[in-house]
Amino acid sequence: MQHSTTSDERVGAALVVGGGIGGMQAALDLAEAGIKVYLVDNKPSIGGVMSQLDKTFPTNDCAMCTMAPRLVEIGRHKDIEKITLSEIESVTGQPGNFRVHLRKQPRYVDETKCTGCGACVENCPTRNEVQLVELGRTELAPQHQEEVLGILERHRDRKGPLMPILQDVNVAFNYFPENVLRFISQETGYPLTHINRIATFYSAFSLKPIGKHVINLCMGTACYVRGAGILLEKFSEALNIGVGETTEDMLFTFKSVRCIGCCGLAPVMMTGDDVYGKLQTKDIPDIIKKYRQAEQ
Amino acid sequence: MAKKKRIEVMACAGTGCVSGGAFQIIDALEKELTAHGLIDEISIVPTGCNGFCGQGPLMVVIPDNIFYGWLTLDAIPHLVEEHFLKGRPVQKLMFTPPEEKEPFPLLSDIPFFRKQLLVVLRNKGIIDPEKIEDYVARDGYTALEKVLSSMPPDTVIGEISKSGLRGRGGAGFPTGTKWEIARKQEKTPRYLIANCDEGDPGAYMDRSVLESDPHSVIEGMSIAAYAIGSSDGFIYVRSEYPLAIERMKTALSQAREYGLLGSSILDSGFDFDIEIREGSGAFVCGEETSLIHSIEGDIPEPRQRPPFPAQSGLWGCPTVINNVETLANVPVIITRGSEWYSNIGTETSKGTKIFSLVGKINNTGLIEVPMGINLRDVVYEIGGGIPNGKEFKAVQTGGPSGGCIPASMLDSPIDYESLVEAGSMMGSGGMIVMDEDTCVVDVSKFFIQFTNDESCGKCVACRDGSEALLEVLDRIAGGEGREGDVEFLEELGAAVKDASMCGLGQTLPNPVLSTLNYFRDEYEAHVNEKRCPALVCRDMIQYYIDPDKCVGCLKCLKNCPTEAIMGELKYVHIIEQDKCSKCGQCLEECPPKISAVIKVTGNDMDSLEQLTEIVACAERKN
Repeated sequence: MQHSTTSDERVGAALVVGGGIGGMQAALDLAEAGIKVYLVDNKPSIGGVMSQLDKTFPTNDCAMCTMAPRLVEIGRHKDIEKITLSEIESVTGQPGNFRVHLRKQPRYVDETKCTGCGACVENCPTRNEVQLVELGRTELAPQHQEEVLGILERHRDRKGPLMPILQDVNVAFNYFPENVLRFISQETGYPLTHINRIATFYSAFSLKPIGKHVINLCMGTACYVRGAGILLEKFSEALNIGVGETTEDMLFTFKSVRCIGCCGLAPVMMTGDDVYGKLQTKDIPDIIKKYRQAEQ
Repeated sequence: MAKKKRIEVMACAGTGCVSGGAFQIIDALEKELTAHGLIDEISIVPTGCNGFCGQGPLMVVIPDNIFYGWLTLDAIPHLVEEHFLKGRPVQKLMFTPPEEKEPFPLLSDIPFFRKQLLVVLRNKGIIDPEKIEDYVARDGYTALEKVLSSMPPDTVIGEISKSGLRGRGGAGFPTGTKWEIARKQEKTPRYLIANCDEGDPGAYMDRSVLESDPHSVIEGMSIAAYAIGSSDGFIYVRSEYPLAIERMKTALSQAREYGLLGSSILDSGFDFDIEIREGSGAFVCGEETSLIHSIEGDIPEPRQRPPFPAQSGLWGCPTVINNVETLANVPVIITRGSEWYSNIGTETSKGTKIFSLVGKINNTGLIEVPMGINLRDVVYEIGGGIPNGKEFKAVQTGGPSGGCIPASMLDSPIDYESLVEAGSMMGSGGMIVMDEDTCVVDVSKFFIQFTNDESCGKCVACRDGSEALLEVLDRIAGGEGREGDVEFLEELGAAVKDASMCGLGQTLPNPVLSTLNYFRDEYEAHVNEKRCPALVCRDMIQYYIDPDKCVGCLKCLKNCPTEAIMGELKYVHIIEQDKCSKCGQCLEECPPKISAVIKVTGNDMDSLEQLTEIVACAERKN
């Protein structure tokens, strides 16, 4: 929605995001109050989840009886413009004068002419037939080839091989390149969705490349009561990144872990195989410097 | 066999000491001994965790049994010259309790060790965990031999049942019964899993057992496998324990070499082998059904029980999952008999239990004590009391599933039932001591944050319940607690307990409920008076410089990260509260003899703020 207005001019229009029952009622109320309404939804049609329900909690009212009049009213209202299949990309400006960028997906049907008669849907010759997308074979990038093939070979005859394979891949590359996961799926027969769920379940795995040195600050109970919370902030400050993030030079990734079992040395951090115990805030710059210097 | 040497130096090489530089110290010691020509008379043995981790890096000199702690590289030449050359033990490196002058030279005199009873950790600090010969020399694998040659499986199960051994993972299910259920199942193969996914923050018993005596776990597993009729075993270890995994791998290959694993062990016709599986950082994997899913390569979410794993577990087959510590108990019971074992402990809780004693305590470390010992002995005798003369407040047991035990219950015994009665649980054995500077709201928030992060999200009560608990706790700690919040925590906690599917959810409200039970007044102070009695919750405290004490040394001023401190050299410094981020740096920087920086909370904040304005026309200090 682009209005060529100057910044101090107030616009008598509103944009409602989401065309569910709440969004529809809001749009109607606004339109009744004389405000031009744009109603945005990312689905092909408005109606939201309620259109899939039979009864509603707690009164057992008929869902369709509640929403149908509103659907019709919105369809008729001259001041409501429906924008479906669209998502908001950015919002700028201030109250009274926003500028919103939307991205609209193609519908392949001219909305201005379609009456929604349903004839094309019923007469489509390939409707109700399974449409298989032909996926090409995934090939590994040359730099991954040797390692991945070796790992797959090592665990070929194992029962329940997925975890050991993923762990070895993680050791080799520090993260899971998408292509490698696709390749593993293709070779082992595990569906990619399954592999993806495992890959995102464990905290030791990452789908994004991580830094060369992973700073694991222990936030176990013993470390916490001995002041690990302050250390977390200081590390964040010193590296200029948040927890779970990686520095721009790909040197450090900062993570907080739950107990590395060195409670006698609390508070503790671990980087690779190096463990630093009885940490104090003043040790932080030296530790970071040590790894930075080793790099040069 | 090599000739016995004059002196043996048992240098601890557990993770704690290694991170303190134990290997460098061993190298230096070796170099120094070689330089003095002593290397033929004195041997250095890198052992597993000694237990007294707070003193690391440490070593024990045998046969004199002298204990040296807090070793540094600089101290080694002096030590070699004095002790090994001239025979004069070095007092400076011995253990001296705080507030006392005389050191304890002998290991056996140190109170930390005196009250302990070593059953599972019988070999800690005595053997080299990477040498199977050392384990065999301490009667290792005799239990396995006895079982294979003269005890039918049912007799083994009977013996374990009679001993009264209960699961050391936390819930305390009788081990013998579990084995019997699995043995009765008709389906084969049967599997055995040793659970070393020790996720409780503040606990490292299992890791220590694997690092200091891996063969005792292998032997225990072999006996268990023989009893239930299994030939495939797994050890599930967290990937955060690299040293434990390394030592276990070494131990497994040694056992195979000696024919103690593999086909027809000791020519008995019994086949058994063990595979290591690593976790990858998911707390819920310590739950047995999740762990099974993780090994299978499935999504590691728990499932509804029954059927219990002993009936239908790994790949749908009967599976016994025992904690590492439980399994390490097994060889001793077989060798010394169930009667001996059941004499230790209380009526319902037999044997010993390993605890990791950590937090605000003088002697941090790993301890093994008989069941039924009272908390006071653990905290004050073994633990040596609270550092810096602070007041004991509570001890937290059972990790995120457990609760707090207040000072009033210090004399109650430690066993499965008493702890549950107190609103906590045995758990895997973490024991975190808290002093007066620990805020119970803050600690509860910490645990709920943990369980909220680690909840796998499968069932609503745990996933959303922990979220809601956290929201309320955040509010209370942030100084925005409302009337009724405390009651709401109780109600919601009870609901989460009832409605969750696995152990994680069923126990996650415990830290909140138990602290509410014993420290309700603190919660109420947070909600009603916006005051944090322990001076921890940031939104309710202020840092303040006492003008009578401040000497204007600029130390705090220079180190303040937000430049919130005003002042000049020899002028009283003042903290500008609206700039202060409450990081506590100034408190750390202020020299101990001055200690002008203090924390205040509640009503004190307002009165001191006015005072600060008056002092703002800073008086000069001479």
